Amino acid sequence: MSQAQIVFEDVVKRFGDTVAVEKMNLSVEQGEFLAIMGSSGCGKTTTLRMLAGLESPSEGEIRLNGERINELKPSERETPLVWQSLALFPFLSVIENVEFGLRMRGIEPAERKRRAMVWLERMEIAEFAERQIDQLSGGQKQRVALARALVTEPPVLLLDEPLSALDANLVVRMQGVLSRLQKDLGITFVYVTHSQSEAFAMADRVVIMSQGKIEQVGAPLEVYRQPASRFVAEFVGSNNIFTGKVAQTNAGQVQMDTALGVIHASGVQTAPLENGEDIEVVISADNFEIDAVPPENGEAIPCNVVSEEFIGTVVSLLLETESGVELKIQKQQREIAELDLHIGTTLWVSWSPDAVYVLPK
Amino acid sequence: MNADRVIRWSIWVYLVLVFAFVFTPIVTSVIFSFNSDRFPTVPLGSFTFKWYETVLNDPDFWKAARTSMLVCVCSGVLATFIGFCTAYTDFRYQFRFKGAYIALALLPPTIPLIILALGMLAWLSKIGASGQVWSIIIAHTVLCAPFAMGVIRLRLQQMDPDLESAAWNLGASEWAAMKNVVLPFAMPALISAFCLTMAVSFDEFTVSWFVSGLNKTIPVAILEVLQGTVDPQINAIGTFVFFTSMTLVVIAQLIFSYRSNQN
Repeated sequence: MSQAQIVFEDVVKRFGDTVAVEKMNLSVEQGEFLAIMGSSGCGKTTTLRMLAGLESPSEGEIRLNGERINELKPSERETPLVWQSLALFPFLSVIENVEFGLRMRGIEPAERKRRAMVWLERMEIAEFAERQIDQLSGGQKQRVALARALVTEPPVLLLDEPLSALDANLVVRMQGVLSRLQKDLGITFVYVTHSQSEAFAMADRVVIMSQGKIEQVGAPLEVYRQPASRFVAEFVGSNNIFTGKVAQTNAGQVQMDTALGVIHASGVQTAPLENGEDIEVVISADNFEIDAVPPENGEAIPCNVVSEEFIGTVVSLLLETESGVELKIQKQQREIAELDLHIGTTLWVSWSPDAVYVLPK
Repeated sequence: MNADRVIRWSIWVYLVLVFAFVFTPIVTSVIFSFNSDRFPTVPLGSFTFKWYETVLNDPDFWKAARTSMLVCVCSGVLATFIGFCTAYTDFRYQFRFKGAYIALALLPPTIPLIILALGMLAWLSKIGASGQVWSIIIAHTVLCAPFAMGVIRLRLQQMDPDLESAAWNLGASEWAAMKNVVLPFAMPALISAFCLTMAVSFDEFTVSWFVSGLNKTIPVAILEVLQGTVDPQINAIGTFVFFTSMTLVVIAQLIFSYRSNQN
């Protein structure tokens, strides 16, 4: 296992009395695509800015390739950033923007023009080289920003919500561009976003932050299926969270009383549970089975349809049990079409004990 | 439909009246500068360049013109520099009493000119610096810097604060970022502030009259001529001053609005 490329060790950042980042410990491997996610004000952008040297940590140490970089000025680091605002220089042409980093390093005009052209071609915007920035579309500006950051061939690229200003189609397209670029270059990407779909689509690992603290670090699927805390469970996607008390446990099999009735869970890996202990469980919205008639074997709960939301191929349903518990369910549109649903229709909902995930304490 | 027409015509009439009110005296002065009669009366005499010839052959006028040019260029440069520094500190830094700092920087034009002039005279003579060309330069720099600051501050407010950080992030030192990002961005405002402060300095009378001593600027020279006689060469000088100032102000406006719109 190689040495971690970027290390945050007990990093704290305070602004006056406010703590923006609290005791952060994080290491990033060379060549990894790491996404840092959280709602606004969670400290994700501050983390990125500390890495670029635009903020300095109040405590702790940040290391790049094993060397402490706390005291380095932004201009002394090889950590170019793609800005949320893009921050392209409006008084320079496209190619002059891309050349900027090379010019600051004292590279000869002919050489820097050649190297800038290579990147413009790679980003498929070579034809716009002599244009002014305000003559470009959003997607083209995005590519200029990427070329400008990458032209110096840095070991790490930092990205601060780079796609937030683009429309939905373009976001998906740029996600593809970024993913491929990161694989081809083999350099580390640290990507800050509030968008779960962006993070999950591209990242090798995801960091979930809340109020300056890391809630969970893991592969996207792991974070999605095994949230480390209630916060993560609520933050990522459409999870149903139920609180209850343990009724019976036996070697990973747990039976509990919740608002939804008695729930069985299997394969529970959480620390041993006591009978009567408070417990929180998660059932992901896509883990339910629904049927128009009661199933012949096994248990199912009757629910009424409260609302239906159609998002492309997936349909989001909000159901309510007779006792008033709300359930979020996601199904493929094709499956739903067979059921002929209306608001108020009664459905029979069931799930497998494997689908019940017990939240760690 | 009809009401629209009425409103449109009223606006036009209003506009014509405003311009007439503002420009009639100036136009009158320009017309009389080409009139052969000694006194400004109607009907006019014949067309002549006589008064311009008198002015151009007057060594005192040339001396005053040289002083005025020197003063307005020097105080324009200094005021633009100081104005840029204040505007940049406002843009870049957050600190306590910043409001007071800005208010203080903008103060000079709000002080009655006569008070400012008296203060300048008292202070400059105390430090033994009154009656020199550079006494006028100092005084005009103080008077003009706030105008420069206002114009430059307006421009810097349009600048994405990330722009400077982006330059650092790409390897530019603070000085390199200033030279390659902040100054180019602010350039239209710098040029326009320079023209504007030159115009203010070129026109300024009160302060100049108090601190200039023997180094008369053009407005001071005009007053001295006027005190002696009523001489149509005043109209000629006035026309010259008016067109110089207007040219500077128009250049300032054009550059500022053209370049700002572009970005």
